[in-house]
Amino acid sequence: MSEPIIKLENIWKVYQLGKIELIALKNINLEIRPGAFLSIMGPSGSGKSTLLNLIGCLDFPTKGKLFLKGKEISSLSENQLAQLRGKTIGFIFQEFNLLSHLNALENVMLPMTFQGASLKEREKRAKELLMAVGLEKRISHQPSELSGGERQRVAIARAFANNPELVIADEPTGNLDSSTGKKIMEILVDFHQKEGKTVVVVTHDSNIASYSQEIVNIIDGEVVHNHQAASKVLWKT
Amino acid sequence: MENLKEYFKIATRNLQTRSLRSWLTILGIIIGVFLIISLLSLSQGLKKTITQQLRSLGSETIFIMPGDFSNPMSMFMSGSKLDKEDIDVIKRTRGIESILTMAYQSLITRYGEEGKSILIEGLSWEEGREILEKFQGWTLKEGRWPIPGQREVVIGKQVETEVFKKPVKIDSEITIKGKKFKVVGILNSLGSKQDDTSIVLDLPIYQNLTREKRGTAQSAMVKVREGSDVNKVAEDIKENLKATRKRRAGTDVADFSVITSEKMGEIAGSILMLIQVAVFAFASIAIIVGGIGIMNTMFTSVRERTREIGIMKAIGATNNAVLAIFLMEAGIIGFGGGIGGTILGILAAKLLEAYSRINPIFYLNSSVTPGLILFGLFFSFFVGSLAGFFPARKAATLKPVEALRRYE
Repeated sequence: MSEPIIKLENIWKVYQLGKIELIALKNINLEIRPGAFLSIMGPSGSGKSTLLNLIGCLDFPTKGKLFLKGKEISSLSENQLAQLRGKTIGFIFQEFNLLSHLNALENVMLPMTFQGASLKEREKRAKELLMAVGLEKRISHQPSELSGGERQRVAIARAFANNPELVIADEPTGNLDSSTGKKIMEILVDFHQKEGKTVVVVTHDSNIASYSQEIVNIIDGEVVHNHQAASKVLWKT
Repeated sequence: MENLKEYFKIATRNLQTRSLRSWLTILGIIIGVFLIISLLSLSQGLKKTITQQLRSLGSETIFIMPGDFSNPMSMFMSGSKLDKEDIDVIKRTRGIESILTMAYQSLITRYGEEGKSILIEGLSWEEGREILEKFQGWTLKEGRWPIPGQREVVIGKQVETEVFKKPVKIDSEITIKGKKFKVVGILNSLGSKQDDTSIVLDLPIYQNLTREKRGTAQSAMVKVREGSDVNKVAEDIKENLKATRKRRAGTDVADFSVITSEKMGEIAGSILMLIQVAVFAFASIAIIVGGIGIMNTMFTSVRERTREIGIMKAIGATNNAVLAIFLMEAGIIGFGGGIGGTILGILAAKLLEAYSRINPIFYLNSSVTPGLILFGLFFSFFVGSLAGFFPARKAATLKPVEALRRYE
């Protein structure tokens, strides 16, 4: 079996709020293997965003070990971690999180800039990605000139810019109407199927979760259920 | 390298999106650099002019002036004069080659229909012309020197064209205090406005005109014989003058100053140094205030863009990349302000210089050296980067997850 991209080993996350200790995650064990399409589900406050931040290596656990491509992240320097994260993981956020003063093309090019790619390379790849998400006519538009769905498509293109093995989406359809949300999910599934990307989606919407192969349910910081999705909407077997 | 170019692009884009604030911050630096460049170039120009004038005196010159040199006001205000006996005492001092005695005051001078108050200088032509020509560098642009004892004058360069509406010509007549004089010569510029706007005549004639006692003088300039010790001669003159004063008035309080040209250069040099240090200090304060402005703007920017920093870090920006972007923004503000301030500073100094040439109050030279320009640019860039360092470090060390959690 291939090496997991992300491995969580007995992970605890505890927040210290004044004198009160808030346990956000309790003893989580999880592996994300290449090619998986996984949903993390749970009500708000269940710890799913905290778990996502750890899977995305944006945060460090209070206890336990977190491995990114077999390397324990606490052993890496901040710069090394940023570099490895930028190369391995792409992010899609609920609020799109595009940089407002850069146009669509520049937003997609930015992750490649941080990896040191040449201008030519960046432009070529960014245009290809924008075309893949159907925004070839919008490349020079600022985020403020794009609709919510279009912004999220730019964000998806950006997430795939460095050709990462893993893409993490935090409520990717949360700010979109259901038909636009469906299109966004279709694009994600498409990337997963055509390019074999590993996708982790955080959602509280079971419709969205039904796109995935595997669902992790989390309640009060604990994984309560880890099962194969019962019905797959778009899954072609 | 490629990366730095990209970061630079991002930094300029960030500044553009906050253009009003960026420009206001740049303005703070512009003012500081403007002050440094304009004031330093003018004070350097002043130093150059004064040093040149002092150098033209040569090292073997001694000045004797009424009043106390360490208290300049007393020199201008005191009515004391060198009388005939004083001058004789100076002349008798060993080691003296020649002496130029002088008296001056502003008198109403008429040319044609026009009357002006002009500084009239009486100089002892017979004895002193050598000093004027050889050591003070007086040369004639036109005409000849006046014959001692004749009612003839030479006029400063600006008297010819700028003081009166009608240009003053050689052989024309000029009326000073009701008496007529013939203009026989026009001087070349002597490098100071005061000299160039004055009229010079023989000292005895001057004294007739002003009804001052013959043989007296307001000040004297002495040329020391070659091989004599200038300081020793100056000391002797001082002692001799003191002795006559004591004999005459019973007091040995010196109401005159005896200064060698070297000493004068030292005093002028130290005053100029002081001026430059003061100018530099004040202008530096202005730049530092500008720097604090940069720091303020950058801290505000980091606060506002916390989420943006979080996004950049999430998509792979290293701490160094974020640090570089923010440092560049601060550096651009500093350097931009430096360029603007340097250009405006040079412009202001040159304008002042031009203005002083048109308006006969004083000559003002500005000296803009490449060193000064480089200094202005580097200093502003340095202050900008330094002021930007702490905000940039704050931005760079933000934890991505915390930065992302904060909403704009």
